[in-house]
Amino acid sequence: MRRIVNSCGGAAGFIGACLVFGLVLVALGAPWIAPYDPLHVSIENQLQEPGGAFLFGTDQSGRDVLSRVIWGTRASIEVSAFAVLIGLVFGVSLGLVAGFYRGGWLEQLTMRFLDAIAAIPILIWAIALVGIFGVGDTKLGGITLGNEAKLMILLGLLYIPTLARVTYTTALSESQANYVLARRLQGTSGVRIMFSDVLPNCLSPVIVQGTLLLAIGIIIEASVSFVGLGVQPPTPSWGNMLADARNYLLSGEWWLSVFPGAAISVTVIGFNLLGDGLRDRLDPRHATASLTT
Amino acid sequence: MLSLFLRRAGFSLLSLLLVSFVLFVLTRSIPDSPAHIVLGDEATDAQIAQFDHDHGLDRPILVQYGVWLQRLVFHADLGQSFTTGLQMNTQIGQTLPVTLELVTVAFAVSVVISLVLGTASAVLRDSPIDYGARLIAVLGVSIPGFWLALVLILAFAVDREWFPPGGVSPLSDGWQDHLLSIALPCFCLGAFYMAVLTRMTRSSLLDVLGLDYMRTARASGLHPARVLIYALRNALVPVVTIAGVSFGHMFGWALIIEQVFNINGLSHALLVAIQARDYALVQAVVMVFTLVFVCANLCADLLNATLNPRLASAPA
Repeated sequence: MRRIVNSCGGAAGFIGACLVFGLVLVALGAPWIAPYDPLHVSIENQLQEPGGAFLFGTDQSGRDVLSRVIWGTRASIEVSAFAVLIGLVFGVSLGLVAGFYRGGWLEQLTMRFLDAIAAIPILIWAIALVGIFGVGDTKLGGITLGNEAKLMILLGLLYIPTLARVTYTTALSESQANYVLARRLQGTSGVRIMFSDVLPNCLSPVIVQGTLLLAIGIIIEASVSFVGLGVQPPTPSWGNMLADARNYLLSGEWWLSVFPGAAISVTVIGFNLLGDGLRDRLDPRHATASLTT
Repeated sequence: MLSLFLRRAGFSLLSLLLVSFVLFVLTRSIPDSPAHIVLGDEATDAQIAQFDHDHGLDRPILVQYGVWLQRLVFHADLGQSFTTGLQMNTQIGQTLPVTLELVTVAFAVSVVISLVLGTASAVLRDSPIDYGARLIAVLGVSIPGFWLALVLILAFAVDREWFPPGGVSPLSDGWQDHLLSIALPCFCLGAFYMAVLTRMTRSSLLDVLGLDYMRTARASGLHPARVLIYALRNALVPVVTIAGVSFGHMFGWALIIEQVFNINGLSHALLVAIQARDYALVQAVVMVFTLVFVCANLCADLLNATLNPRLASAPA
């Protein structure tokens, strides 16, 4: 037990890990956990207060808010996790190559380009790009991309600079270490050293940054859905639930806005605590950037 | 100092150019062309070609970009919307001041509060003030601003009618009403960055206060306030950098907050443009955002160089 807590970077990190683990379970088990169908409309049950048959109440179409919050977990975690995955694959590769083959035009070109992309906040990029590509389905070659998939890919692309920068910084110093020289003297090829020796040593800060980006992804997905450019209704997401809730703010249906928002906050707290804990444990020198979106 | 400024400014300019080019190419190359939107589905190829010719859309993309850039740089003219025919300068001129006021007020208040709170929390380490500040810092970064906005509207504009639930009351109707109407949006906008900056100030100041030259300063009998000022000058460097970035980010979040409070600012212009598929306006608004962001970062670099002259002479 002690060892598990320590590997999450202390008590706060452990609480974060538990929250994240619980949320992933909720996301995966949504069809079995949710008491009702999140899309089932029943006018006779509309705008019921929390309690009784509906623990979190019902919305304007009589849909169960608890079930929608549970299914919303799936949308949020899906978008955020796949975005980080895309960012990791491309960002880490770019950063690794630029850092390992330092001093070349490749390094300069990659890092300058990524810096320029990072010159606009991710949220603005996301809104602008979804705006430019349109909210509906986009056909790309033979594949039709729904809005959720599009948001996922865009966010992933926008994460590349951050993750590449973190990998680059570590790869730069690691590739000058003595063990790399030793491997070279053994006659190992550069590509092999890069992937099997330098890469594993770069992963700690990348893991920390990735966890923090998961938290950012949750907030951005919710925000973009909130302004109507993300997950489209009737598919439940915390952001579009809050957008609906805005219309019932003045008439006092508080449960519509409180529960989805609380879900966002709990999730973000979970990822932040875990990320900070992992940082203390894996990256005590704080190579990773602090939390700004 | 001058070389640092020139280097930074040069890089900012390069970023701006690259971003504007990417946006330009993206907005001009989507299948949903302006001719298509304006003329509708029944338009003949000849009509579309005529429209494209009239608006210069049939020229090579690099030439179009050149023309656009030249107008922007020499005449500060963002151009005209192809779909609505409105001048983008007027559209942005009407909405930018609203957003700029919100962001500036939120930024100023959160910077002042976080500096005071962060300093107090570092100096009085492990006191109730410190615990309070750290709690605020954790909560602030985890509660999304737009949810905070909904909850605050519920609590203070619906249940108790202390603040108006939305909109901005114009200054001409009295400054009290104006301040009341921007209080909630500014708070929701600033809360996150106040938390980030408080945490940053605290940890940075704690690092500096533990250094040898601080001990020397205290040992040589300097007044504690004076020691603190010396410490702050060094500790504030990372805080100023993050504050500069925050200003730009706040501009982005203002999009969402304005939406919650029904404020007719830049977000309104952007979202209306997206719905109307007015890509030229989308591009213009995003350019304004980029410009603000890049300028804020540049200001932060300059302020840092004045605070701490060592940075100015350091090699890149």
